[in-house]
Amino acid sequence: MYFPHFRGRFSVRVRLAACGLLLAAPIAAEDRVGTPRLDPPATPSLNTYGLPGLVDMPTAEAMPNGQIATSVSYFGGISRYTLSFQAAPWLSASFRYSGLKTQGDELYGFETYWDRNFDVRFRLMQETRNRPALTLGLQDFAGTGVNAAEYIVATKGFDTPPLSPGKLPGRLKLTAGLGWGRLGSYGSMSGAGTRPGYGNSNGGELSYDQWFRGDFAPFAGVEWQLDDRWSVKAEYSSDAYDLETGPSDVLEHKSPVNIGTEYQWTPRTRLGAYYLYGSEIGVSAQIQLNPSYPAVPLQVPAPHPVPPRSAWATEESQWGQAWAQSEETKITLADLLGKELRKDGLTLESLDLNGTRAELRYRNARYHSYAQANGRAARAMSRALPASVETFRIIPVRNGLGLSALELRRSDLEAMEFDPEAAATLTSVVGVTTVGPQAAGAIPGAGLYPAFSTSINPYTSPSYFDPDKPFRIDAGLDFGAVYDPAPGWRVAGTIRQRIAGNVAGGRKSESQLPHVRTDQSLYAEYGTTLENLYAARYWQPKPAVFARSTAGLFESMYGGISGEVLWQRPDSPLGLGFEGNYVVQRDFDQRLSFRDYKTFTGHASAYLNLDKGYQAQVDAGRYLAGDYGATFSVGRVFENGWEVSGFVTKTNVSAEEFGEGSFDKGFRVRIPVSWMLGKPTRSAFGTTIRPVQRDGGQRVHMPDRLYNSVRAAQRQRLREQQARFWE
Amino acid sequence: MRPFLQAFAACFLLTAAGCSQGVEETKVETEVVQAIQDYVAERRSPKVERPPLTRAALDETVVGAFIEVAIENTGVTAYLFTELQRRDGLPGEITVWRSEDDVTLAMRNGLLTATRGLPGSLLSARVPAADGVMGPARGGGRRYVLRGLDEGSQAIEMACSLEDLGRTTVEIVELVHKVQHLKEHCEGGGGVVTNEYWVDSTGARVWQSRQWAGPKIGYLSIRQLTL
Repeated sequence: MYFPHFRGRFSVRVRLAACGLLLAAPIAAEDRVGTPRLDPPATPSLNTYGLPGLVDMPTAEAMPNGQIATSVSYFGGISRYTLSFQAAPWLSASFRYSGLKTQGDELYGFETYWDRNFDVRFRLMQETRNRPALTLGLQDFAGTGVNAAEYIVATKGFDTPPLSPGKLPGRLKLTAGLGWGRLGSYGSMSGAGTRPGYGNSNGGELSYDQWFRGDFAPFAGVEWQLDDRWSVKAEYSSDAYDLETGPSDVLEHKSPVNIGTEYQWTPRTRLGAYYLYGSEIGVSAQIQLNPSYPAVPLQVPAPHPVPPRSAWATEESQWGQAWAQSEETKITLADLLGKELRKDGLTLESLDLNGTRAELRYRNARYHSYAQANGRAARAMSRALPASVETFRIIPVRNGLGLSALELRRSDLEAMEFDPEAAATLTSVVGVTTVGPQAAGAIPGAGLYPAFSTSINPYTSPSYFDPDKPFRIDAGLDFGAVYDPAPGWRVAGTIRQRIAGNVAGGRKSESQLPHVRTDQSLYAEYGTTLENLYAARYWQPKPAVFARSTAGLFESMYGGISGEVLWQRPDSPLGLGFEGNYVVQRDFDQRLSFRDYKTFTGHASAYLNLDKGYQAQVDAGRYLAGDYGATFSVGRVFENGWEVSGFVTKTNVSAEEFGEGSFDKGFRVRIPVSWMLGKPTRSAFGTTIRPVQRDGGQRVHMPDRLYNSVRAAQRQRLREQQARFWE
Repeated sequence: MRPFLQAFAACFLLTAAGCSQGVEETKVETEVVQAIQDYVAERRSPKVERPPLTRAALDETVVGAFIEVAIENTGVTAYLFTELQRRDGLPGEITVWRSEDDVTLAMRNGLLTATRGLPGSLLSARVPAADGVMGPARGGGRRYVLRGLDEGSQAIEMACSLEDLGRTTVEIVELVHKVQHLKEHCEGGGGVVTNEYWVDSTGARVWQSRQWAGPKIGYLSIRQLTL
């Protein structure tokens, strides 16, 4: 059924004209209008702070919902690295690492003074035909305040005619605003009260007593987007750069007028060149991406269509249920189904069959979307099981835990596959329920247990924001082994061999608290380590209740015993959990020995899944340093696996005891590999970034905590991803 | 412990980049290194020159129905065989065509309704099919549901008019067929789509067509090579 000497592959690119394969169809004149497009929405350009803006001043524009922007800018002795996230259409948050390189006196004792900033921007009013957009911004609102400023800004855009025939029309954007703090320092008018200095030398706390206080000044500017590539910008800046033009001589301020031009190099990358403050040349690079629009669209081998039983089970005898009496037949069917599942990268864990109903438990190591994995499993069942089986119950299993049960009728599967609205109507014909205990008669997948697997993986381990060297990283190889003696049981270990890195030379800890996390550089001195070695058990004491117990070496710094329970119904937005750990700190060499420090740490957790992927989590309890308090996390988890979230932890440790930063806070970013490479895989880049790593408010890292596994197959997730079911 | 060590040794020798034995999920660094290796291998692999297509070669080597599909945007061509033919509750017969490298196209009476295995799938489409009529039966509404946004779908609604451009002939690998040339002009979703069909003069099949499969894939040129 295939050409022996023709290649039937879409992946082979051939010269069409040479093969005479181009069709005679002329290009229709209407094509010049263009076919419909589903491009990412247009996005504003950014300023040197990495915020929607002109050259150095902000504008009122908001990035598209969910947009993530990274930017780098340099001018004078100033460098700024900013990561911004449009968390909601009306709210964006940014984290910035900025350096001031002095040419004169040192700043706060540093030749290059590095500072970490958090910003937030609130859109107060959306732009319409007749009124401008209005935005309120708080810049560096919780740091030591070097970049602290507040502003209210308005921006209005107007279409401009194309520069030449055939070019796209341009857009002119006018901006005016009022700034306080840094943005109220040039051409200022006296405002309400005086702006107090920053009281806490540790930084980190909200400086709300400063906001909108003291002198303020107007700023204004214009951006003209000539076409879809080029734009020019000009502005009047209200920033006098008092600190930088002082004895430190970071910058010379001769004029408040800044000009620049920017070029959209690729759809995601924009480059800018500027002339600032009458003295400095500046450059910027802005990279913007939107998690909803993958870098490479996911390409998955096409599924096999569902064979309708009406086509192949035409005899009444084919619909009988006698086969269900034979254990041998059931085993044959389970083998057959296992083979079908393997074609799609799935593993049959068990199959429970009676005459009309089949319950499949399977493992998914390939697809990020459980909706897609369920769809593939349903198709495999439709190919492998006798005609009399009408009800499919499909249960994805992870670490022996049944995450949720999808129940659907086979006739719906057959009827709907080619329905024009198949994706939208799936929800109305499937049920998602809790998973009960596995039936006694279920046939286990052949040869699954005991299972032994090994792996060699490269690893990277970064460390951020050391003032001497802001970015440090170790890299090497992990040699892993996993032994699963029975469903839900696991013994695993990893030996880590560093090949290169510079984390070891990092800052030594001066923490007043027990050094529960700040001895990282001491741990990093050893090149061959036992990263982890533990035994774990996962089980479901009741439907919707998940449990884990783990003992051994959990992570490079801690070992001990741990227990966790999670209550989470697949149809409930709320999950509740409890975790208790007795941990001992490991020796720096990370072999089998321990240090003297032992403690109990544990938390009660509440997880709340809100609409549109917003997620909130509260963990209250005792932390590693023996401090009591709570961690509040909010974030956005995209269906494709992107995650951006922020957290703060307040414990009974005082700001003085805690040290720099006053309390623990940070953010997490997780980028799925499938989003970047377009191939189905469950792996992802994840990193947690803290402005400062201290010892207060720290938790132990635990392999395979329960919530993330369970969350992925919740009803809400399956519903949001239902289009994937058919793909 | 010997098998354990052997597994490690074999694993390490096969690729220095990371590998695993067993059914564990792949680690991120390994995925990235593998992707780079795949890319390099693809760049290094010799370009395949397709032999000229002749009727004699087709008669000699092919059993059953095959179509040739070219993606206009990329110049990529493949030959697809019938994987499934069936009917459902809607008018028209569904045919699923499959390529050797796991791309499928679903058509209802010759009208493209779905693609799988290509980036930016056409998830489903509402097409103007009618029983007993190959190709488009009428103008009117059309709806394309496409993979889009965050694991979701995006729909494009279009209004179409159908024009009969009259009788003509098409030659497909040395065979000349008498056909009716139909043109479907659709507007909506901020753009314009023109689908064309060359339907056998007896109405038995669509010999050739040029159909839009969504913004990512663009137009497909489809020819029925064999029956």
